[in-house]
Amino acid sequence: MSKEMNQNKRNEAAKRRRKIKTAAQCILAAIVMIIVVFPIYWMLVSSVKSQEEILLAVPTLWPREFHFENYINVLNRGNFAKYYYNTIVMTAGILVSQVITGVFAAYGFSKGKFKGQNLIFLIVLGALMIPIQVTFIPIYIMMANWGMSDTFAGLILPVAVSPYFIFMLRQNFMAIDDSYIEAARIDGLGRVGIITKILAPMCKSALFTVILVTFTDGWNSYFWPKIIAMGEKRRVLTIGLAYLQNTFAGQETMNNHEVMAGAVLAVVPVIILFFIFQKYMLTGYSKAAMK
Amino acid sequence: MRKGMALVLASAMAAGALTGCGGGGSTGKAANVTTAAQETEAVDPAMYEVTEPITIKWWHALEDQYSGIVEQVVNDFNSSQDLITVEAEYIGSYSKLNEALVAAHAAGTGLPAITVANTPYVAEYGAGGLTENLDPYIEASGYDVSDFGNGMLEAAKYDGSQVSLPFLISTQILYYNKDKVDELGITLPETWDEMDAFMEAGTKKAADGTTEMYATIIPGWDQWYFETFYLNQGVKIINDDQVTTDLGGEKAVEIAAKIKEWCDNGYTYWTGTADDASSNMRQNFISGKALSVVHTTSLYNNYVDQVDFEVGMHWLPGAETKNQEIGGCVVLIPSKNDQATKNAAWQFMQYLVGKDVNMTWAEGTGYMPTRKSVLETEEGKAFLEKKPAFQPIFDNLDLINPRIQHKGWSQLATIWKNSMAELIMEGGDVQESMTVMAEEIDDVLGDV
Amino acid sequence: MKERRMNPRKASALKDFICVVPALILIAIFTYYPILELFRISFTDWNLLNDTYKYVGVKNWKWLFAGSGTKYLWNSLRVTILYSIGELSVTLIGGMIFALIFNRMTRGFAAMRAVVFMPKYVAMSSAAVVFLWILNTDTGILNYILSIAGINAVDWLGNRHTALLSVLMVTGWRCIGYGMMVYLSAMMGISTDYYEAAALDGANAVQKFFKITLPMLSPTTLFLFVTTFLSSMKVFQSVDILTQGGPYRSTEVFVYNIYRYAMVDFRMDRASTVAIFFFFLLLIITVATMKISSNKVTYDS
Repeated sequence: MSKEMNQNKRNEAAKRRRKIKTAAQCILAAIVMIIVVFPIYWMLVSSVKSQEEILLAVPTLWPREFHFENYINVLNRGNFAKYYYNTIVMTAGILVSQVITGVFAAYGFSKGKFKGQNLIFLIVLGALMIPIQVTFIPIYIMMANWGMSDTFAGLILPVAVSPYFIFMLRQNFMAIDDSYIEAARIDGLGRVGIITKILAPMCKSALFTVILVTFTDGWNSYFWPKIIAMGEKRRVLTIGLAYLQNTFAGQETMNNHEVMAGAVLAVVPVIILFFIFQKYMLTGYSKAAMK
Repeated sequence: MRKGMALVLASAMAAGALTGCGGGGSTGKAANVTTAAQETEAVDPAMYEVTEPITIKWWHALEDQYSGIVEQVVNDFNSSQDLITVEAEYIGSYSKLNEALVAAHAAGTGLPAITVANTPYVAEYGAGGLTENLDPYIEASGYDVSDFGNGMLEAAKYDGSQVSLPFLISTQILYYNKDKVDELGITLPETWDEMDAFMEAGTKKAADGTTEMYATIIPGWDQWYFETFYLNQGVKIINDDQVTTDLGGEKAVEIAAKIKEWCDNGYTYWTGTADDASSNMRQNFISGKALSVVHTTSLYNNYVDQVDFEVGMHWLPGAETKNQEIGGCVVLIPSKNDQATKNAAWQFMQYLVGKDVNMTWAEGTGYMPTRKSVLETEEGKAFLEKKPAFQPIFDNLDLINPRIQHKGWSQLATIWKNSMAELIMEGGDVQESMTVMAEEIDDVLGDV
Repeated sequence: MKERRMNPRKASALKDFICVVPALILIAIFTYYPILELFRISFTDWNLLNDTYKYVGVKNWKWLFAGSGTKYLWNSLRVTILYSIGELSVTLIGGMIFALIFNRMTRGFAAMRAVVFMPKYVAMSSAAVVFLWILNTDTGILNYILSIAGINAVDWLGNRHTALLSVLMVTGWRCIGYGMMVYLSAMMGISTDYYEAAALDGANAVQKFFKITLPMLSPTTLFLFVTTFLSSMKVFQSVDILTQGGPYRSTEVFVYNIYRYAMVDFRMDRASTVAIFFFFLLLIITVATMKISSNKVTYDS
């Protein structure tokens, strides 16, 4: 009798302890999340405050008034509309060229057969070890000689191939049984047909993940656009934002509210994508990490 | 193997200049060809005329506070004639503009038709063939440059050629809080030796030893603000051999040690080189936390508008000499533009540096009148009546010298101001720090 | 003509080869050729401000290893390593702690995980300007919060001792959620049998973590270590926006050092020399880490 009661008591105590543990974990997680999300929150609220309000000695957590015209000002003054256009064209160009070169090369390395295949694949992979941060000087000089500074070609060409893209796709193509390809060949499909009708659809999710990673990397790229697009003509969002920070928020005028509006404008497309394709993007980067 | 970019660029430049009828007169090796070609052809005014409608870009470094006046000047020019439309573009600070300009020159694309440049870059650009020689333009259009102050005109030359024209000219000055100086009965220092007494008298400290009011603040983000202290005490920032510096010498170390001592004593603080150093210093002066600051005359109106006390201007304390240096910017035409663009730029340039526009700037900001016909006449007196604080500048016009011109100057400047900031803000041995710095500068000067 | 037609196998091989040609050509032009060019430029005196250049032998190499460049080479190496250690600690240790905190398979926690992971997708330039604003000495909210706690305003970016820390704050903010996700997905792969067996042995939570979770995650840790280390060596953007290498070059990481010589001083010769050094450095690190990881993997399996 007393033994049973003891058992019960112990169970209850354990349950209570577990409950407390759960509650503690929830609270801790919530606090951590709030800290992590704070910079994003602060960016958003600062972007709609007035200049007087952002300079208050005691910062306000919620804007007194909403000044959405900050966004209009940034679009005009910082020329963000143009930066958007440049970023979109550049990202699309990188995406298209990396997909085309990547898909074909992946096919060649996985399903094709030619002399020196392994060696050539090693050469391609070796490029992973040589980032543009090392090679940008000769590339810059080369592009300048070809009259490609401040052009889309200059922004896109040096990053038109991604060894990582090729590597990932090759892995996926190799996993597909050769019998599919043989069957397609018998049906009279050529290489382009095999790639577009058989391989690509079969690796849809892998392909999509790599494309998402390529897109975000292109959209957020900074180093090379900074070197090759110094002028205003082909300035992209990331550079435009840094420029806005340097020119308008810097020494003379504290226009941080407008800079925050610019920061919001620059991240919105990627964040929207993130929420739509969460599943792919969460796994995407774990795979992409080998870059 | 010498088919690298430099040669391609050089030959492109020479070819472009020849077909463009001898515009690109600069000094490098390749450009000699051009000059020769130029001399054989007599200057034909028709060659420099604007005949077709054209839109040109003007790069400048004039921050937000000047945007109204920039807009007004550009609009006035655009509506004054039908052919040329000028678009002004703010590039950033003088050094950011320098980076963008040199890169655009190297790339050969994206160059502005006309740009401002901080005064010390004239030699660098002249030697690198970046600037168009304006002499033929001046001759062809009969533009009178003799009205510019001599020093200013000299400062805009490289190797005897007029590669740029003076645009917005300023000089260093000690701004002081006149109300407080009178109230405390402080004498402003005329010489470096009087500085000690001034620093002590002008500083107010709280009971716990922290400073409530600094006697003065010397900007550390640009060596232009402190280099005259060295020059006036006989320190050669670049020795006559052109490849070494005297900044590691006894006198230079003594001056740096003195400045450090003032900082350590709390009489002043070192601003460092950060982006907000300038606005912080200004804020200190405006709020009364600094009795005086060393800054550029161009910000005079800006200061006056923001303070509730009288702002005085005082010539910087001298020593063996009492010289100061030209600051601000010149305007120039990048040599790699095509001739039509250059011609349009030349038209706009004449307008920009003209007397009327110059006086608009002088009255609306703290930039100085550049014309002798203002400086040395009744007009100058009228100007002084409006801005009496400029009296010391008018009194000392002859003492305003051109900047030191050397191709390695901007690298030297960076090393110097970084080294100074590190020495004062992190502490350390002055002699050792200056010696290391001088070695590094020697290396740069001997190898550009 | 007919005799010269290739046999079908050869033709097929040629077509397969043509598939990889575009990628190969672009990689040759934009990756391998520039490396050769870098070597060549490192033996010249190429200053972008000059019209011409000439070959000067090993002058730039002397400058780098026994001249005025040496000091800054070691400085940038030191700063980069410090930065790497910082980023590694945040990603590995911070990521692990976050993984433990958010390790609960409910909808609410899934949502919170997504939010914590989100900063990875905020462009570094946006993140950097937001932190510039948060860290502002006079009007930043961080100094305001500190002032409530009675701490004097900190000049986060203007002070040598806090500047690199500030850069790491931004990096950490963007990376920690990523480390968490990688660890979490690996944790899910650990069989519950281990934990049940340990529970029978009377192990507590802490013991379970150190005896089971941590060892089981070591391949993941290694993977994170290698990838984070290599990417942290290439840091540029955050430094460029936050500090521009300052104050007095105290946050001048390797890539920024090269960038400064090339695009600020226009000394292509010196920049190329440093870039080659950097190339070999990355090569050594890559090969070394690959060696370690391949050893490790066989050991684990």
